[in-house]
Amino acid sequence: MNGILTPDSVLPSLHVTSKKQALHELAKRASVITGLGERAIFDTLVERERLGSTGVGRGVAIPHGKLASLDRVYGVFARLTRPIDFDAVDEHPVDLMFLLLAPEGAGADHLKALARVSRLLRDDGMLDRLRGCETADALFSLLNEQEASSHAA
Amino acid sequence: MTIEALNLAIMLGAALVVSSVLSSVIAFRFGAPLLLIFLLLGLVFGEDGLGIPFDDTSFAYAVGSVAIAIILFDSGFTTRWRSLALAAGPAGMLATVGVLITAGMIALFGAMLLDLDWLSALLLGAIVSSTDAAAVFFLLRVGGITLRDRVRSTLEVESGSNDPMAIFLTLSLASMATLGGIESHGGLWQMLVVEFLRQMGFGLVGGLAGGWLLVQGLNRIRLDPGLYPIVALAAAVLLATVVNALGGSGFLAIYIAGVIAGNSRVHAAGSLGRFQEGMTWLAQITMFLTLGLLATPTQFISLAPAGLALALLLIFVARPLAVWICLLPFGFSRKETLFIGWVGLRGAVSILLALVPVLSGLESGRLLFNLAFIVVFVSLVVQGWTLRPVARRLGLVVPPAIGPLDRSELELPGAPGDYELLTYRVADDCPVAQGERIPRWARPSLIVREGKSLLPERAGRPQAGDYVYIFAAHSRVALMDRLFAARAEGDLEQEAAFYGDFALEPDAPLTTVALLYGLEVPADVGDATVAGYLSKAVHGRPETGDRVRLGAVELIVRAVDEEGHIADVGLAVDPAPERRVVIPYNRRELAQVTTDLKARLARRRRGKAAAAPGGVHDLPDAPDFGRGDHDADVSDKKGPADV
Repeated sequence: MNGILTPDSVLPSLHVTSKKQALHELAKRASVITGLGERAIFDTLVERERLGSTGVGRGVAIPHGKLASLDRVYGVFARLTRPIDFDAVDEHPVDLMFLLLAPEGAGADHLKALARVSRLLRDDGMLDRLRGCETADALFSLLNEQEASSHAA
Repeated sequence: MTIEALNLAIMLGAALVVSSVLSSVIAFRFGAPLLLIFLLLGLVFGEDGLGIPFDDTSFAYAVGSVAIAIILFDSGFTTRWRSLALAAGPAGMLATVGVLITAGMIALFGAMLLDLDWLSALLLGAIVSSTDAAAVFFLLRVGGITLRDRVRSTLEVESGSNDPMAIFLTLSLASMATLGGIESHGGLWQMLVVEFLRQMGFGLVGGLAGGWLLVQGLNRIRLDPGLYPIVALAAAVLLATVVNALGGSGFLAIYIAGVIAGNSRVHAAGSLGRFQEGMTWLAQITMFLTLGLLATPTQFISLAPAGLALALLLIFVARPLAVWICLLPFGFSRKETLFIGWVGLRGAVSILLALVPVLSGLESGRLLFNLAFIVVFVSLVVQGWTLRPVARRLGLVVPPAIGPLDRSELELPGAPGDYELLTYRVADDCPVAQGERIPRWARPSLIVREGKSLLPERAGRPQAGDYVYIFAAHSRVALMDRLFAARAEGDLEQEAAFYGDFALEPDAPLTTVALLYGLEVPADVGDATVAGYLSKAVHGRPETGDRVRLGAVELIVRAVDEEGHIADVGLAVDPAPERRVVIPYNRRELAQVTTDLKARLARRRRGKAAAAPGGVHDLPDAPDFGRGDHDADVSDKKGPADV
């Protein structure tokens, strides 16, 4: 996830109790990284959830959306201390979240980033390792290293 | 025969059946086509193997005919109206035109490879022209493979309905051969067509009438419960023979009677179904064993190269080509057409029909039998063994929505037809065991825990390992399965490939989705929902797995409710790139290719007009047509204007 994630966009143990709260916390962190308003980010995410839950199954959610004043694609990764109900397709509670924000007009880049994240988080081994990681650094390097190696393959 | 010899014969027969059934365990484990095992066992015990001398062709033919009749009746009995309606067009084409094309091409290859006379070559083509229903469905069922509905129904209806066609062709050709060659029959084709119409017409009418009579009889006459399945099957076989005697196709009649009986509310339908399932197994085992015993493998050796070549031509050329032509007018995708082409297993009917020339005393009889035997054998090995991987590879397997399920249905005397008593074994990680609320209509009437039966009030919540007995409406069964089944252990990668990365609400506005993902939508969508747009864009009734391209993404039908409305929609953000249509596989692609071709021709004309004013019509247009290369850019560069 080079170029999408930075070390401070990884939340290794987020404690939330609801889907709304989780989106709030992710928006808050995204706001710090992007410099955009937390409210605007949160609203964008909620609007996307209205089209259908981004809980893709196996405890993973990939909330995403577009914001006019972004300069590139940003990501925030969060691991929840306790799984929450996310209306996911398989009704499994979610404990791994990958937030993706893209600039308005970034059609292809947005889709490409979504495809990358979706592919990364559908590897069972990857999910196990992400759940087993100790620190934010370890999570960060795992997310990036995996990407590098799957590109080489 | 003495009593002792008779006993020995019965002993041998029983031992053969027992060893066949036991060997099915091996087949399940290795995914080997079971029928291949039965055939091999027959060969092993036969005259070149352990040495059971069996050479009674007419006995084998009689056994085989009864067996085919039983199999066809059951195959009709288990075919639902819905499948029939869904697949009538394509399956009908495959069963008629497809059979003719396959037979014709095999005849051509046979005549060239083996220097057969025309009638023998045509006979060979007819013999191997039909696909084997039982072989296909056994393989799909064992693999736990759920195919897309349209593909499954087409294969199912095709394999049941093409047998009468192949049988008709073979019998007509054989009788022609015995009457003395093609030359003496000026009106050969005319005669064939008239005969065809008569046989199929009689078969159809006989089947409809017989099926109706059968249902009426079963529902009106009170018998000992054990007798229903027997009288049903016997009556069906009787019907087939009567229609045959009257000059119709008895095999078509019995298949149609099966369809009628299977789709009517018939008394004791459950026990009928179970009995027929068993009888179909027995019929297949008996037939394959008999045919295996009858064959003399040492005669195969000299024919092996030619037989193998024929089989490969059938698998790789004749069948795919026939399927391609037959399915062109329908809306199948490239992958679906390829798969249907691959599932062309030959089986019992072909070997049975191979006995016809022998019985008719044709000179080429034994040769044709041996060739057909090799073709069936190779087809079972090559196609049978690769069926599942090919289905997976082509992405036609619907990932399971629910995991393994332990359910049985009990028949209820006196109960209204749409209710049944279901028994589930509660799976460890099923929603109910995980604490999900049980809806009122799924409350158990009885719970059996550790061998003790308990009333639900006393037992409390059902626990993993319990057996629960639920009296429920038939329409709720699918919902109930979901409550009591284990979680699906699907392959994430495969699921995402089939269902797409994200879920969309069916009633989400399409324009909102398009805006979010930067997609171009047609100007006329207005306020359409994603489901509304999808239903319009797929051809005909939407079905799980249908995909529609929209800009850089694909919308996918994830689920369809009972009324046929789209219930869940998926979005693939990274679909496989769109393929250039070189060979058209369906109506839409055919139209596209024709348009491309016309545009190219128009461009060429303009080019020529510029190069040779006034001389357009003198230049030959034809040679470029058949190249099958629709690449407009290339042809422009090669255009006469540049020459």
